[in-house]
Amino acid sequence: MKLALVDYVILTIYFAFILGIGWRLRKKITTSGDFLTSAHSVPVWITSLAFLAANLGAQELVGMSASGAKYGIMTAHFYWIGAVPAMLFVGLFMMPFYYGSRARSVPEYLKLRFDEKTRALNAFTFAVMTVFSSGISMYALGLLLSLVLGWSFTTSVLCSAFIVLAYTFLGGLTSAIYNEVLQFFLIVVGFSPLAILAVSKAGGWSGMAERIPAVMTHSWKYMGSATENPMGIEIFGLVAGLGFVLSFGYWCTDFLVVQRAMAANSMSAARRTPVIAAIPKMIMPFIVIVPGIAALALSKMAVGYSLPMKNGGYDYDQALTTLMAKFYPAGMLGVGITGLMASFMSGMAGNVTAFNTVWTYDIYQSYIRPGAPDRHYLTVGRVTTIAGVALSIATAYVAQHYNNIMDLLQLVFGFVNAPLFATFLLGMFWKRATGHGAFIGLLSGTIAAALTHGLTVAEGKGGWIADINHFPSVMAQNFWIAIFAWTTCFLMTILVSLVTRPRPEKELEGLVYGLTKLGHDEGVSWYKRPAPVAVCVAVFLIILNFWFA
Amino acid sequence: MLDLRVPSGWFFTILGAILLVMAVAAPGNRAELTDANVNLYCGAVMLGFGGFLLTLAWSAARKRP
Repeated sequence: MKLALVDYVILTIYFAFILGIGWRLRKKITTSGDFLTSAHSVPVWITSLAFLAANLGAQELVGMSASGAKYGIMTAHFYWIGAVPAMLFVGLFMMPFYYGSRARSVPEYLKLRFDEKTRALNAFTFAVMTVFSSGISMYALGLLLSLVLGWSFTTSVLCSAFIVLAYTFLGGLTSAIYNEVLQFFLIVVGFSPLAILAVSKAGGWSGMAERIPAVMTHSWKYMGSATENPMGIEIFGLVAGLGFVLSFGYWCTDFLVVQRAMAANSMSAARRTPVIAAIPKMIMPFIVIVPGIAALALSKMAVGYSLPMKNGGYDYDQALTTLMAKFYPAGMLGVGITGLMASFMSGMAGNVTAFNTVWTYDIYQSYIRPGAPDRHYLTVGRVTTIAGVALSIATAYVAQHYNNIMDLLQLVFGFVNAPLFATFLLGMFWKRATGHGAFIGLLSGTIAAALTHGLTVAEGKGGWIADINHFPSVMAQNFWIAIFAWTTCFLMTILVSLVTRPRPEKELEGLVYGLTKLGHDEGVSWYKRPAPVAVCVAVFLIILNFWFA
Repeated sequence: MLDLRVPSGWFFTILGAILLVMAVAAPGNRAELTDANVNLYCGAVMLGFGGFLLTLAWSAARKRP
């Protein structure tokens, strides 16, 4: 793929605008709260789109298109089952405690609800995972740009990292959130035409259905048994593993996304943030997955397009970029490539801003230098932004040499996030849960995840202790690891809590359901209240699932 | 606080204008697999979207005391 001058002009204009937004917002930053938490001042429509965009990295765009080409519309489960229900849950039931407790971060909530050691465990694991995640995303972008455009890996990585650093350094979390919204618009505008063009060329949905296996155009019909579908997952593993443990573990407890809602300018806005974000989230499969399905259909049509080959099979990862090369002329191609860069930047800025908040408040201020003036923490926040980006760049180069690091990270995410959701569920909805229970539950859940991985094998992965069970796919293995980790954490937290002393109820006010006065938006229009909007989203979600069943 | 609709509106207006100029100045500039003038349609949509955001921002600014 070769870019024309106009494509580079569009890319340059985009860079100028996001840097300009950072420059404009720099004057608003006078305290560490302004820089790290946006001082709870961002309007709801902005936090909602940022909530979604922070998760919409380049890996998500390229990866979901690839999964669309490989598994078909079944990939939409990652949105319709694996995201939207959890987003509604966090908005309706968990945000009152996150926002109402006035905690500045998710680990800080754990400290308020449980104790210092539980906060420390979460803060350190989150900080490490965030840097690795950001670096691997950077590695993926560098690899993509060098493969597709022939750009040097180093130039791609350094250039994009510098721009993200510049605007987050200038305007902190507010700048990252504002730019995420612009980036979200750009992703939608840059990729929607591709979906329309590719699907219409492939003969519409019915035309595609004629050319590809039937299992690829149904999301539920072939889920009865793991052998019936290419994902190798049966319905219980999907719903319990992805739909409950993994998705709720990510959307309800990962500070990367929760931070966007916590930046909202009121409790009502914070609660509506994930609920409103769920609306575009439901529609995203049509922008990122459907083009992948169209790519496979077009490959079977002899119209001048075929998916590139790799090791004797299709190289699904190139579905999105090869479609862009075939359907976009110079000009729109620049918009598409800029959309890809935007997705990377929104994902990376999300990681960097979450990392610097957790490092500054939950690690530095708590364990290294407590009691310093606020100005000092503002400086630490800025320095941490530079350090976070530098560490991400280093991780990108490590990942370049050790490809398995990506699999490892994905696995560790499952190990950490799945049990964490059990901790939060009990912490927010059971006043008897104790700090010792939460800490031992978290540790034992992570150990259970490691044991499940060590005792089972899927596609040659795992089984480093013994081989007592085979899964048909790595995805199925990951879902079951999450189920075991969550269940172990849940049970261990209950058991240990029952034999340890709970905190007095007075100390838990504002942190636990039943001891917290929940505000009701009396006299506000229905569309400004989270519950009625969530009901509308749920109804639309059910229709979508039936439509593509 | 900065009204995000202003920079976003200008960004898409400029992008739309560039694509429209491309579509008119080089109408033969087509992608390999489609006969549609992609730059024309996408440029018009972006210009409209940019204008919409700017109108919203302008309207909100007028209502502010």
